Parts: sequence; C-alpha cells; structure tokens
Amino acid sequence: MARYAMAFDYKLCINCKACEVACKEENGILLGADKHRLWINVKEPSGNFWDLDRDDVEYMPTQCNQCENPPCLEACPTKAIYIDDNGIVRLHEELCDLIQLCIKACPYDARYINSRENIVDKCNFCADTRLDRGLTTTACQVTCPSKVRIFGDLDDPNSEISQVLKKRDYFQLQPDKGTKPKLFYLK
Amino acid sequence: MKIIETSRRRFLKSGVALCVYASNLDAITCLPTYLTQPTIKSTNNIKEIPFLCNMCRNKCAGIGRVEQNILTKIDPNPLFPKSRNMICPKGNSGIQALYDIDRLKYPLKRVGVRGDGKYQRVTWDEAFEYIKDKLVDILKKEKDNRSTIVSCNGEGFNKDEYIKFFNGKIGSSNFLDEGSICLNTKLGATILTIGDIGEMDIEGSDFVLIAGANRFESLITPDSVDLARKQREQKLVVLDPRATVTALKADEYLPINPGTDLALCLAMTYIAIENELYDKSFVKKYFKDFDKYKKHILDNKYTSKWAETKTHIPAQKIEKLTKEFFQAKRPLFYLGRRSVWSNNDFQLRRAMVLLNGLAGSINRQGGIILGKPIKLPEEEINSPLYANARERFDLDGIIYGSKKGGSWLNFREKIVSNNAPYPVRAMFIRKHNLMQNMPNVSKTKKMLEMMDLVVVLDTMPTDTAIMADIILPECTYLEREDMVVSFGKLEPSLALRNRVIEPMFESKSMQDILKGLGEKLSKPLFDISKEFDEDLQDSIKELGEKQAFVEGGYDLAELYQKDVTQRNRELIEKNFGKEAYIMLKKDGVWYPNIKKYHREIFNGNFEYYPKDERYYTIDKKFTVNCYLKKLAKNGEDAMPTWRDKYDFKVKNGHFRMITGRYVTETQSATTNNIMLRDFYQTNHIWINNQVAKKLNIKVGDIVEVESSIGKIRIKAYPTNKIHPQAVWFAHGFNSKSFYMSNSYNNGANDNEIIEDKFEKIYGCATMHQTDVTIRKV
Repeated sequence: MARYAMAFDYKLCINCKACEVACKEENGILLGADKHRLWINVKEPSGNFWDLDRDDVEYMPTQCNQCENPPCLEACPTKAIYIDDNGIVRLHEELCDLIQLCIKACPYDARYINSRENIVDKCNFCADTRLDRGLTTTACQVTCPSKVRIFGDLDDPNSEISQVLKKRDYFQLQPDKGTKPKLFYLK
Repeated sequence: MKIIETSRRRFLKSGVALCVYASNLDAITCLPTYLTQPTIKSTNNIKEIPFLCNMCRNKCAGIGRVEQNILTKIDPNPLFPKSRNMICPKGNSGIQALYDIDRLKYPLKRVGVRGDGKYQRVTWDEAFEYIKDKLVDILKKEKDNRSTIVSCNGEGFNKDEYIKFFNGKIGSSNFLDEGSICLNTKLGATILTIGDIGEMDIEGSDFVLIAGANRFESLITPDSVDLARKQREQKLVVLDPRATVTALKADEYLPINPGTDLALCLAMTYIAIENELYDKSFVKKYFKDFDKYKKHILDNKYTSKWAETKTHIPAQKIEKLTKEFFQAKRPLFYLGRRSVWSNNDFQLRRAMVLLNGLAGSINRQGGIILGKPIKLPEEEINSPLYANARERFDLDGIIYGSKKGGSWLNFREKIVSNNAPYPVRAMFIRKHNLMQNMPNVSKTKKMLEMMDLVVVLDTMPTDTAIMADIILPECTYLEREDMVVSFGKLEPSLALRNRVIEPMFESKSMQDILKGLGEKLSKPLFDISKEFDEDLQDSIKELGEKQAFVEGGYDLAELYQKDVTQRNRELIEKNFGKEAYIMLKKDGVWYPNIKKYHREIFNGNFEYYPKDERYYTIDKKFTVNCYLKKLAKNGEDAMPTWRDKYDFKVKNGHFRMITGRYVTETQSATTNNIMLRDFYQTNHIWINNQVAKKLNIKVGDIVEVESSIGKIRIKAYPTNKIHPQAVWFAHGFNSKSFYMSNSYNNGANDNEIIEDKFEKIYGCATMHQTDVTIRKV
C-alpha cells in the first residue's frame, strides 16, 4: 500500500534515452513509435547560429501522470481502468475492447495502442514487472545517468520524493483540468 | 534531433509488421512487433549477475537479470565508483546485442571473393587448420619474419592478452589499435607535459571549460555523469562549431570556427600571463621553461583581438572567459576524450594542459588528478625471441607515436603504396571494423585485398568480416568472464566482468579462441623457426629440441592452460585476499574499505570514498614541461604556436566536413542494434538552415556530398545549430555487409569522404580537415 508518484529534476535531463531503453527492455514495449510509455518533450533553440537563443531549450521527461482523478477511467465504457492499491492507474486487460475513448480523454497524450496485446497501454510505474517482484524502483528512474527521476511513496513522509517536494518548488502539468496528477516537476 | 519519416521502419523485416491505427486516430502507421525479448514476469529462479558493459569502450558496471537462462534486463551496479550507478541507452540495449539475429554463429570460411559475402560453415578445427596451412606457407616465404603477421584489436578489454599472443608468442612487432584514429594526441600531450595521462576531476571543479568534446551525447563515466548531475552548481562553458546537447545545456555557449580552439587557448594564455592571473607559486614550483613560454606567448601577441579574427569569438568574451577561468576556485579545462580533429591537435592539447597548469589545476581537486590507482600485477609469460622478426614500420616518420597501437594511416599508406620494408601477408583483426572506422575506405579495402590471409574475430558480420578468409565468432561481453581490471586514480577500484549467460551458438571467448589457435600453431610454427632461426638452432644444439621448445616459450597456448576463472581467483586472492575475490564474483566490484565507505546520499547518488580519503593530491614529483626539445629537433613547434596553415578557410561553396555521433551509437558497433535503431533510424547531414534555404534544401531531401576522395548520398537536416561553413553527420552508418539487416545500405559512411590525412607527432588521422561540396539530388 503506497501512493506512488514521480518527481523530475528535469533541468538535469540531457535527453540521452537511457530511460526509454530501460523502460522498453523492462516492460517489453513495442518498438517503432514515439511516446510509448515514456518520452522526452524537446524544445530547440531559436535564432541564428552565431546568436542562438537557448533560453527555451528544454528536455522534459514525461509519461502517464497517474492522476488521482483520472479522466481515462471516467471515459472507459467497459470499466477496464482502475486505480490499484499503490495509487497507480492500471488496466484489466481482458476488459479492454480498444474503444479508445481513454486515449481521447487523457490530457497528457500518455496512452497508445499496444498492438501485441491489443490493449490501450501506458506507463504503470513498472507495477506488473518491478513492483510485482518486490522492488521499489522503476526502470527509468534507476538507470538515469543524471538522476532526474525521484520515485516514491507520497504517503511516507520520509520517502525521498516527500522530502524533495517539501524542500523544493515544483509545478504540475495542467493542474487546472482537475486530474490531480502525480508527476511533479522541480523548479 | 528527431526526424520521423514514414519510410523509417527499415528493421521491419526482422519483425512482423502490423498496421494499426495510431493514437491520433487519423493516420495509419505500421508498427513492427517486438519479437526479441518480451519480459518474463516471473519472480522465481531469477539470477542477478554483475558484469561490466562493453557497448562502448567505457566499461560501466551493470547487473544482468537472468530468467530461465535468458537475459531479460540490465540495471546499474551501484557499487562501481566509475559508472556512478547508471546505465546509458547503449548499455541498456546490450540485450539486443546479445540476441541480435545477425550475430556470427559459427566459424565461416570464404568461398567467394573478398567482400561478396559468400561463406561456408566450417568446424572450429577446420578453421584453425586453414589458418595453420596459410601461416606455414607465409612464414616459409618470409623466412620466419614474424612481423609479416599483423594483428589489430579495437576492443579495450582483453587487448593486452591479445597483444601477448600475437606480439609476444607469435612474435610480430606489428600491432595496431584504435588509438591513432581516436585520442592518442591527448594522451601523448598530457604524458609529455606532466608525465602522466592523469584523470580529470569534473565532480570537484567549480568551472569547467570544454572545447568540442560532446559529453552529453558521447557518454563517458564518470565525466558525463558528473557534468550532468552538477548542472546546478558548476559553471560550464562550451566551445563548438555545432550546438550539441552539451553546448545547449551549458551555462555559456561560444560558437567557434572549426579547428581554431588552439587560437583561443593561446589568447587565454596571453591574457593570463599579461595580467598575471596565473598561480605564481604553482608555476614557480612545477613549471619548466616557463620564461621561454611566457616570452613566446607575449612576443607573438596572442591577444584576444588576434584570437577573435581566428575563432570568431568576440575579444571581449575571450577576456571575460579567461578572467572567470582564473578567478574560479578549481577551474578545469577539460582535455576531451574524442577523435583527433585538426592538424594542430597535439599542440591544442598541450596548450590546454598548460592552461590547467597555469591555474594550478594539476594534482588537486577539480583539476587533472595524478591519483593512486590500484596496482594489478602482470601475469608472467615466457615469450620466444625470434631472430628474424623485423621492426615495426608504422611509426617511421612519426615524431612520437604510440609504441603500442601505432599509426593506422601511416601503416596502411605504406602497405598500399608498396613502401613497407617487408611484405605484410597476414592480418588478424579483432573487434576492429577497419572498413568503416578510418578515413578513406577504398584504401582499407585495397590493403585487405593485398593480404594472403585475413582472419576476423568478431560478434557481428561487419564490413570488415566479409573481407576475411576465415571468420571466427567471438561471444559477446555478456557471455564471458574477463580478467579483473583496475579502474580510476581518484576513487580507485577493481571490477570484474562475470559471465552472465553461456556462449550462444558456437561462439567462444577470445581466450578460448587463442587457446585453440595456439595449440594448433605451436608445433608447425616452431618447425619453421627451427629451419630459419639460428638462435633457436643453437639453443636446440645446447638443450635438445624438447627443452628448447619449453624454455624458449614456444607453447603458444601457455597463457590459456588455466581458464580465466581460475586465473582471476589466483591473481585476486594472492594480491587482495579471499574476501576481495568473493566480493568481485558476487558483487562485481571491490576496493579497500568498500563496505565502510560506500553509502547512498540521495536518490541513487552514492558516495564511494569519503572526500578526505580520495586521492586528489598525492605526494609525487612532477614537472610541467613548456618546451619539448624533441619537437624542435624534428622541425615542429616545441611550444604551442599558431601557424597560418591552421586558419579556418573554406572556399566559396565548400563546407568543412565535421563528424561525431549520436548519443545512442558507438561508431559502427551499434548501428545494427534494433533497440537503438528505434531512435535514429538513419543519419542525416546537418547543414546551416540559412545556407540550406539558399540552396533550396529541405528536411529529408537527399543531397550528394563530395570530397576529393569520394561522394555519398544522405538525407538533409537543415538547422540553426551548425556553423554556416560546416556540415556534420554521425559516424558509423551505412554498412556494406548485407548480413547486417538494420545498418546495411542505411544512411552514409563519413569515412567514404573524409580524406586520409594524419598529423606527424602521433600519426593520428585528422578527421576535420576535409572540405566538401553539397548539392541537392
């Protein structure tokens, strides 16, 4: 029982793709498309070469926000989506009929079609792989060269994520949508 | 850069294509099914085995998860000081190198002509037998001149063992490695200036200046990791003619003309000396010939204004940069770890080392560390002395040069122009893709075609492999135990590569291959020496044949009588104790006091040694040498000097060709990896966006790029991130071997157009001295 979340010290990200590869290997993710489970939003510099404006340059890791109020769950007519004991938004695979309303409902564009299992897939914080095996780390977090990702239990005041959220300012993505997202971006 | 194109799914043929609706519901996208290793969601029977990565030459420590004898996941090993508890994208995709469907599986014998890829499967014994017959014939022709057999090795691990076999036991003086197409000028400049190759302490520095090295897209541990994690606390300034990720993430980015970094260094030196910014007590204590250097710099008037005309960096910025550098507490001018680019490369590295010296950043925290590595004793081996083996010739005409790895371009030039002092007839090539790795591929092809025997040891059917007469399938790094290695000077440790799974197919470890080869060759090659070697004949008269064979060290397989596991145990237990051995086998890493020192600080960041136990400063005598007499004697500059020929000048309509790599690739070694291919399906040429607009070149357009030695076709990527008079594309693409399903005929190979020029101080290929034209096809 936990309330798992992830914080990103995202300014440290160098867009090296280690997290993406680790995720794909851990979770057996299909190759050949963008935004499968996790991805990095890239903003390039503007201006001309001798006078580049780098202020906007940004590598922002993102994935399913594990909302406490998930619009995908609301949207699913077959009740395939549920929140598990660790606060992770999960899927009853056998109930998913690929109706795809969840894809439309997600404001974070985190869902995609897994054409091997014929389900709508997304990040689940390695719930059925690492967490199931008793680990308390995700594949992306543990491998990250710059240690951008801080994963842990919000209900545990001593967890690293709770500590860091106490100490540092952060923002969340589209909080106005009322989704109560559990990804935190450290300023 | 991420360019998505509908035609990008080249690797489809190795998977099953399924067309489904993509997430935006309006486009049909073809997705390959991931057939390699779906995870096994078991909790039973999991083995976790520590190993050392080999996806690049860097060696990070990983832990392999093995389920039902299949490697399903790689995680970082938090115990290893060097790799800082991380595994990069390449390291993570090591699984796909292991299970690459294109891997070499059996020994192969050529049945067609070199390069056409026609091979026949043979047994290991048949392969060895073929090699033996050829070598006997060759050595008879060459009257036992062992140096007619050349060996080369592009892999860091096991290189010394390989040299012991071919140079030591077989007795050739010719060995080559990647150093002369990599970073030998940097190593040489550091050794000649401060007497040590040193180690750069990025973690301890508060101001890091980087010229060209792209640490965020070419990950080296601990350098890249420390730089990435320190972004909030440390000032980073980057010079580069291309806005790399390192440049984009830096606190300050100074775009610069290609090949002019030396001018900036000289100006920084001038400003430091003129304004007396340098560490006077350090200079007084350690510098040799400082007065000469001072006079040289001041007399030549290497002012910031002068440097502006060379580098295109405004004089004011150079002044500011210099002041900041010398005012920092622990500044570091990062010496780089990358290929040799321009013809002034050696002088550039010297100037950088001297700047570190002027700032006092040698043998102290945040500078160039001399440190205290853990000494691993060499295993003794008895090597024969062959009277007829002749000297190597690849360093003829090279002033210093690496006595170990030599000079590839000088070597190759002497072969193909028939200027070698004796015929070279056989080549043993291990993990060294000569057909892609050095400038001017056509000359490499010619060199290989001139050989009577080419043997390749590799894991993949590379362009070089299909030039071989015999291909010997080596197992990957995940299928073998290697000899223990000592890492690091500041936070030293020992690390052991354990075998994660058994060798697949008929592949073998290098040691097992050399053992088989040694057993097959010992007697027949001894018989040839008996015929031609007068020293051996005398020895036989004196000792008898049996004894002469044993005492002379003619048993070529001697080193491999014991397997690597046994050798490791004996070496480690004898020198470091039983506990060290147990820990290295079980946890992969050991250093004195590891259990006491090693602790987690926060979120996967570890401390390996407490600060006061690190070897920042050691009690060692050293001098900083400003003036190198040997260079002056040979008509080169004894001190870093700017010459007119170094000026950046490109003819109208031409571009300076510069090269590099993507963060997901290690040269040509990874471009077939199905996982990494998911990020960069092909390489694109970077061209300045304003220039491209004038030439009507758009993203994805095919362009022809031509130099004096050849032309290639490649897709274009116009961008504001590159100098208007330079073009860039990533190295390692476009394999010509059709056995490489993902890299075959995909993208362009830079070495088909890079001219084969080399500098004369270390004999290193200068990769950025080629100008090209570009036209839309």
